[in-house]
Amino acid sequence: MTTETKPSTTLSDSRRRMRGHLPHAFLLTPWQWCTVVILFLCVVFGLPKGCKSWETFEPEVNYRVPYEASQDYWQYERHLDDRNESDTIYFVGDSVVWGEYVSPDGTWSAFLNEQSGGKPQFVNQALNGLYPLALEGLITHYAEGLSGRKVMLHCNLLWMSSPQADLSQAKEQVFNHPTLVPQFRPRIPSYHADIDTRLGRAIGHRWSFLGWVRHLQIQYWDQKDPYAWTLADDGKYPPSYPNTYRMPWSELDFTLLSEPNPDPERGVDSKRHSPWSTDGIGTQRFDWVELKDSLQWAAFQRLCKLLQQRNNQFIIILGPFNKHIMAPENRTRFESIESGVKQWFVSTNIPFVATELLDSALYGDASHPLTEGYRNLAVELWNDPNFTDWLSQ
Amino acid sequence: MLFHTWTFLIFFPIVFLGYLALKKTPLRIPWLLAASYVFYGWWNPYYLLLIVYSTALDYYVVAWMETCGPPGSKPSPDHGWGDLFSFKLPHASLNAAAWVGRLGLFGSVLLWFVGPLGSRAVCFLSGILCLTIMFAAARRSRKAWLWASMLNNLSLLFYFKYADFFIENANQLFTRMGMSMQWPEAATLMPFGWEYLLPVGISFYTFQSMSYTIDYYLGNLAREKNFLRFATYVAFFPQLVAGPIERASSLLPQFEAAPKIRLKDLSDGASLFLIGLFKKLALANYLSFYVERVYGMPDEYSGAALALATIAFAWQIYFDFSGYTDMARGIALMMGYKLMLNFNRPYLATSLGDFWSRWHISLSTWFRDYVYIPLGGNRNGPVKAYLYLGITFLLSAIWHGAAWTFIVWGVLHALGTMITRELERKEWYHERVPIAVKRFLVFGFVTFAWIFFRAETMQDAWLIVTRIVSSAWSDPAMPALMLGLIALIWVYQWLQESNLRPWTETAWFKVAGSVFMLIWLCFFSSSGGAFIYFQF
Repeated sequence: MTTETKPSTTLSDSRRRMRGHLPHAFLLTPWQWCTVVILFLCVVFGLPKGCKSWETFEPEVNYRVPYEASQDYWQYERHLDDRNESDTIYFVGDSVVWGEYVSPDGTWSAFLNEQSGGKPQFVNQALNGLYPLALEGLITHYAEGLSGRKVMLHCNLLWMSSPQADLSQAKEQVFNHPTLVPQFRPRIPSYHADIDTRLGRAIGHRWSFLGWVRHLQIQYWDQKDPYAWTLADDGKYPPSYPNTYRMPWSELDFTLLSEPNPDPERGVDSKRHSPWSTDGIGTQRFDWVELKDSLQWAAFQRLCKLLQQRNNQFIIILGPFNKHIMAPENRTRFESIESGVKQWFVSTNIPFVATELLDSALYGDASHPLTEGYRNLAVELWNDPNFTDWLSQ
Repeated sequence: MLFHTWTFLIFFPIVFLGYLALKKTPLRIPWLLAASYVFYGWWNPYYLLLIVYSTALDYYVVAWMETCGPPGSKPSPDHGWGDLFSFKLPHASLNAAAWVGRLGLFGSVLLWFVGPLGSRAVCFLSGILCLTIMFAAARRSRKAWLWASMLNNLSLLFYFKYADFFIENANQLFTRMGMSMQWPEAATLMPFGWEYLLPVGISFYTFQSMSYTIDYYLGNLAREKNFLRFATYVAFFPQLVAGPIERASSLLPQFEAAPKIRLKDLSDGASLFLIGLFKKLALANYLSFYVERVYGMPDEYSGAALALATIAFAWQIYFDFSGYTDMARGIALMMGYKLMLNFNRPYLATSLGDFWSRWHISLSTWFRDYVYIPLGGNRNGPVKAYLYLGITFLLSAIWHGAAWTFIVWGVLHALGTMITRELERKEWYHERVPIAVKRFLVFGFVTFAWIFFRAETMQDAWLIVTRIVSSAWSDPAMPALMLGLIALIWVYQWLQESNLRPWTETAWFKVAGSVFMLIWLCFFSSSGGAFIYFQF
């Protein structure tokens, strides 16, 4: 409380010594603000460009964005721009294309490259954890470079296999890539983020500098902002704090995240790389969502239209869904949905290839093939007349 | 709505452009009021009921007070209880007030007996309101109306802020006395099953609204006849939820005519906003993570960690609160309104009195002008002056919150202020003790007192104090970056009050500093919650 009713001998020395009473020295004049804005814009546009030359990014033939960097959309965009040879074909999709259980050289696109005689023609342009609603956002905001290019777009019916997978149930869900889904329209019942978070995400898509900042956080600071990184614990009890006495900028060695080699989670030698039936789960019942009600299918349709608008020459690769995992009484519903999807492709003149069902032992789960499965799929696709027609166009 | 959110980033340009378009029309004030209510209602639209109530109360109380003659006029001795049910009060508006009181009281009593338990709080508050209005109308005195305003404003504040504390302590007392009686929790008294939540900023706007009534009572300002203008003064969104607590004599005249917005106002306002944003996002939020970690489990941390967390909290609360007021002042300035300075490098104070002339200036001057001086100030000798000082600090502590920790914090500051005031009167202390030592002592004392302010309970506070002095000091695991930032801030503040200040005011320093802040915000701003002072 200020308790003095009149200045007296208690007037502090510091106040007598004060040079005026302005609390801040940072009051800028209009001209100084102009300078600040210009300098800031130079930094905003200059740093990401500079980063591209400082960071060593020489993707191998079958490069895919590493699992840990799945949310690094800036890196995704950069990969897209780096592989811009005229005959490049981008294979876009979710973890089926990315290769959930397989190493980079065991993916669908890797075997397609093998079929094409080792020519690096097919690029794995998928991200782990995507689904049509997020894929739509990814292509809309981070794949301008795809415009006019040849694209293989994967269609995975798994995302219509239940209201939960479709994100159409009212109960709040935590799901991958929430920043990519439509923030306001169409409304996603499972997405309960507050309006400020939604606004921030919508604005973030339109300001690539923020995407680059996120890129640095993902690549160098364990997916955290630098402050959180300095405070991070090791997850044990009692905790220790490995980064306490390290400075965030000391981590900027410009070496990008890469896939572990060998990867304990992926590849033919990993434990996860085994047929679905070995898990002992047995067949499953799916609560399929009707196409007319499906948010994911609507997003996929919008995505196709977007590609058409962007003059992409694209083909849809439908499947391979693991029908072996489905309870027999559940298959009719699936086949009706699959048929509806095909009818829509025909009615909109979108070329498509529906893959054949693989042997049961070649599936890791409901939709992800294992390495041999991808090899078979690549061979099948390479010999499909619709596909070869499309390739030769 | 918080200043540092994307929502506000959309909200403010819309409000600002609308304001510019309507600046010279009669819609300027309604526009500002609507914006302020949207800003406040964003948290919870039901809160608006309270702010409208508080606004209407003080507006009408002052209108009725005006019918009782000029300041200093005494009520006629024949006005009193006998007029409580009189049908012939001398002024039409007083008659109306009396009838509002009577009918309201009847309704409140009726609802108390026939309504559900959840309606009791409303019945009680409206009962007090109606009784005080009836009494003031019968008395026809300015003082009665002043009491009506204070009693009703403080009742509302009491219910939302202090009822739980009061009921909890009363129930504990009943148990100790062997009585079986227990009062129901305040939450059970909410009407319509509404959630019992502390309305954001209720202490701020209640005090702001009350200051208008008190100033009118004292004859320091004229009555504001335009209700919308008065409502805008109470709810003006830049300073609505965390101050500065503006006086009516300062802000109301600014609403009378359209302010002239100069280019300098825009650039100064933007500068203040940037500084505030930096303080909040880049500094306060970062410090809060460490403070929460340590203060969340004080028994698991060493003395070093607890001491550093306390210092970190001292800076956190300063950056959090002063950052908010910087942003508030910046936003208001961009619209042509000047709000008062609320912080002035308080951690460079050389005495506790000096500290309180630099910390939360709008609140400390409020208590000085409306509590300390009316009690008698230092006009009745040192003993009474210190008594009034103690009362003032106690009320200030209670204003901050209903907990024993706040009361101890207030008592510590009262004692500290008395001691440093006495010391400043000693020549050896005043002349010979270096300023740096005084600053260090004051900062140390203030930081020590923050332990009680921040700790969840008295037990926690005591545990922290004892562990700081008695436990072994091991690695505190405070990030080096955080330590570096605190050191830099300290150096900067010292520079500001040194002969080197002009160097920090050169154009290149300001431009480089601002670019640095913007870039730092992009990289380092951490997500953080509401401002600390929103809870008060």
